[in-house]
Amino acid sequence: MSAHVSETRIVKGACPQDCPDTCAFLYHVEDGKLVEVTGDPDHPMTRGGLCVKLKDFAEHHYNPNRLLYPMKRIGPKGSGQFQRISWDEALGEIKRRWTDIMAKYGAQAIMPHAYLGHQGTLNGLTAGDAFFNRLGASVAEKTYCESGSSTAWIMTVGPTGGLDLESLAHSKYIIVWAMNMLNTNLHAWPFILEAKKKGAKIVVIDPVRTRTAKQADWHIRIRPGTDGALALGMMNVIIAENLVDRDYVEKYTLGFPELKARAAEYPPERVADITGVPASDIRKLAREYATTQPSAIRQGVALERSRGGGQAIRAITCLPALVGAWRHVGGGTVEMPIWEFPFKFDKICRPDWIKPGTRVINELDLGAALTGEMKLDPPIMSLFVYNSNPVSQAPAQSKTVAGLKRDDLFTVVSELFITDTARYADLLLPATMQAEQYDLMVTWGHLYMMLNQPAIPAPGECVPNVELFRRLARTMGFDDAYWTATDDELLQEFYDWDSPQLKGITLDRLKEKGFMRLNVGAPNERAPHANGNFKTPSGKCEFKASAAENGNFVVPVWRSMYEAKQPGERVDPVPDYIPPFEAPHSNPELAKRFPLSMVSPKPHAFLNTQYANEPLQQRRQGEQIVLIHPRDAASRMIENGNYVRVFNERGSFEGRAELSEDVMPGLVLANVGFWPSLNRSGTSVNATSADKHSGLGQAGTYSDNLVDVARV
Amino acid sequence: MPHVVTGNCRLCRFTDCVTVCPVACFHADGEQTFIDPEVCIDCGACIPACPVHAIYEVLDLPDDEQHWVAINAERSRALPVISDKQDPLPTAAARRAELGY
Repeated sequence: MSAHVSETRIVKGACPQDCPDTCAFLYHVEDGKLVEVTGDPDHPMTRGGLCVKLKDFAEHHYNPNRLLYPMKRIGPKGSGQFQRISWDEALGEIKRRWTDIMAKYGAQAIMPHAYLGHQGTLNGLTAGDAFFNRLGASVAEKTYCESGSSTAWIMTVGPTGGLDLESLAHSKYIIVWAMNMLNTNLHAWPFILEAKKKGAKIVVIDPVRTRTAKQADWHIRIRPGTDGALALGMMNVIIAENLVDRDYVEKYTLGFPELKARAAEYPPERVADITGVPASDIRKLAREYATTQPSAIRQGVALERSRGGGQAIRAITCLPALVGAWRHVGGGTVEMPIWEFPFKFDKICRPDWIKPGTRVINELDLGAALTGEMKLDPPIMSLFVYNSNPVSQAPAQSKTVAGLKRDDLFTVVSELFITDTARYADLLLPATMQAEQYDLMVTWGHLYMMLNQPAIPAPGECVPNVELFRRLARTMGFDDAYWTATDDELLQEFYDWDSPQLKGITLDRLKEKGFMRLNVGAPNERAPHANGNFKTPSGKCEFKASAAENGNFVVPVWRSMYEAKQPGERVDPVPDYIPPFEAPHSNPELAKRFPLSMVSPKPHAFLNTQYANEPLQQRRQGEQIVLIHPRDAASRMIENGNYVRVFNERGSFEGRAELSEDVMPGLVLANVGFWPSLNRSGTSVNATSADKHSGLGQAGTYSDNLVDVARV
Repeated sequence: MPHVVTGNCRLCRFTDCVTVCPVACFHADGEQTFIDPEVCIDCGACIPACPVHAIYEVLDLPDDEQHWVAINAERSRALPVISDKQDPLPTAAARRAELGY
C-alpha cells in the first residue's frame, strides 16, 4: 500500500496581457493540474499580487468552452456553427484557398489582422509578421492603441524609455495625465503612494472622476480631447512667468523660439474656454509643476484617442525639458518605456521579405476595407485574425460585421474561444494559453526581462502562435531557416544580447530566475536625460520636430517594420492644439443632433474582451453600464437603473444607466470590452465610434465621439 | 466586487494585509482592519497575506458573514488609513492557534 502524496511544482512565468504591469507569475501545479497562479513576491513591481482580471486565471485554462481543435464552419457565417476537423484538413484548406486567391488576385488580397491578445516576443504583436511579409500579403497597420503616442514620443524625445515608473517614488510633484492607474497600471501606484508619504503632491487630469482621481490631492476635470490646449496653456504661463530652466533649454532642446511663439497663442483665459479648466487652476498647475522638482508626468494612452491626441502628447512630452525636470531622479515623463529593450525588430518581422510596392491597410479601417467602401484593387479576399477581436474592439462596428458576413471572404481565426469575431470564421484554429506556452514577454510599463515558462502541457491540439506560423510556412512551401529555428534560437536572434542593457542577462539565467532588470540604471539613480542625450537626430529634445519633415508616420514596429507607404500628410512640427472631430465646441452642428460626448475606457474586471465570457468576471464587472450625469439624465427622463440606448448616426448599443457626478454634464462613459453578443442589444460601444484617425500615427479616435442617450 | 475583512481579524490585527495592498485601502481601529470598498480594486493580494484567513472577496462571503460588507464600508469611512505593518495584538498568537492556523 502506498500513500499518494500530492506534489506541488512551482513554475515561473509572466502575464500575457496587454497591460503595462507585466506581472511575474508563479504557476502552482499539483499532480499535473494548474491549481493556482499567484504573483511573485520577489518582483519589485508585482510584489506578490496580480489583479482582478487575473483572478481565477488557473481555472480559465480549464474553461469548458475553450477551442481545443481546428474547426470548420458548417452553418451560415455568424451562426457559430462549427465542426471539428484535423490540423491537416485545416492547413490543406488554407493552402487550397490561398493558392486560388493568389492566382486570381495576387497575394495582397490576403490580409492579416492582429494586435495584442498576447504580448510575447514569439507569440505577440509581431508573431505573424515574418510569415505574412513572406507571403506577400497586404501589410496591416496595427494602430488600435499606442501608435499615436509612439509617433508623438519619437518626434519629441526619440526612442527612450524616459522616466522609470519605479522612480516615481522620488518625485515631488506627480501628474497622472489621462490614465486610470488603479485600473490599468495598479502596480505602479505603490511608488506614487511612497512619493506621497514623502510629501509629494499628486494631480490627476481626467474628464472623469475615476478611482484614481479620487485618490489624488487634486483632480483636474478637463473636456475630452482638449489636453493639448492645457499643455500649451501651462507652457504659456511657465514662459511668461520666467519659470523656464533656461540653461537646460539652451543646451538640450531644439526649437524653443517656435515653441514660445506657439505657446503665446494659448493664454490661460483662452485655454479655460477650450478645456473647461478655470484659468486660475491652469496658472496654479503650471507654477506648481515648474517649481516643485523633481516633477513627473505619467501619461496615459487615452490622450491619443481624439483627433488632436498625438499633438497633445507632443506638447506634454515637451514640458519636462522646459522646466529642467529631466535633471533629477524622479523627474521627466513616461508613457511606454519599451524603447529601452534592445529588440532586433528587423530580425523578428523580416521586412526584407516585403515585396516592393506592397500596400498598407490600417486595421481600424477593417470594415471599410472589407465592404468595398475603401476602393481596393485587389479587394480583400481573405482575412487571417489572431490576437485580436475586431468585432468588439475596432471602431465602426456595423461595418466590421457587414464585412465579415461576406460569403466570398475566406476568414481564418486563431482563438481561445468562439468570440464575436470568431463566429464569422470559415476556419478556427485553437491557441494555447499562457501556462501552456514558452515566451519572453514584452512589457511597456517596467524595465524587466520576463520569461514565461510552460507549466502544463497544451490541451487538445492547441498550439502557440509561433508554432502556428511554422505550420503555415511549411504548408505554403517556405523553406527559409526562420521556420525551423527553435524558440530559443529565435529569441537569440530577436534581441541584441550583446547590448549594454542585457549585460549579464541570458536566457539560461532567465530560466532560473524568471525575471531580470535591464541595465539602464536603478530606480533611485536613473536620470537618462539629466544631460540631454535624447535619442533624436539632433540628440536634443525637439520642441520643433525634425521627424515631421516627411509628414505623418506610423512607427514601423506597428506595421511589420515596413517603412514605405507611410500616411505622409503634413504635420505641424511644433505642437499645437487640434480640436476633436466631434465635440460641442468644435462641431456645434453635429452636437445639435448628438449633444453628449462619450468616452469608452477599459473595463475593470476584463482585459479588453478577455475574461468577459467568464461568469465570475461578469459578476465582478457587472453588466454594460452607461454612466450619465444626473442633469443629463433628468432632461431625458432617465432614472438610475433604467435601460438606455446610446446612439448616433453610426449605430447604437444598450446598457443600464447609472447616474453619477463622476462624469461632467455633457459627458457619458461606457466601457469597451463587453462581448457584443452578450449585451442586451447585440452591439457594444464601438457601434458608435468612427473609423477616423487622429492626426499622428493613425491612432483610433474612440473617445472623439458624440452621441445621445434615450430610455429604452 | 470588493473585499472585506471579517471576524477572524479581531483579537489578532496582524496587519500583514496592509503591506501587500497596492492602493492603501485599509483602515483600522484598535481591534481590526477594514477595507474601503470605494478604493479596493479587487486585486486579491490581501487574501493570502492574512495569517488567519480573515479576508474574503464579497463574491465568496458565506451567507452568515454578509454583515461585514456594511461594517467595512462604514468603519473605513470613519477611520484613518493604515499603510504600515504594526505589531499584532497581544492576543493574536493564541487566537491564531485557536482558529487552527
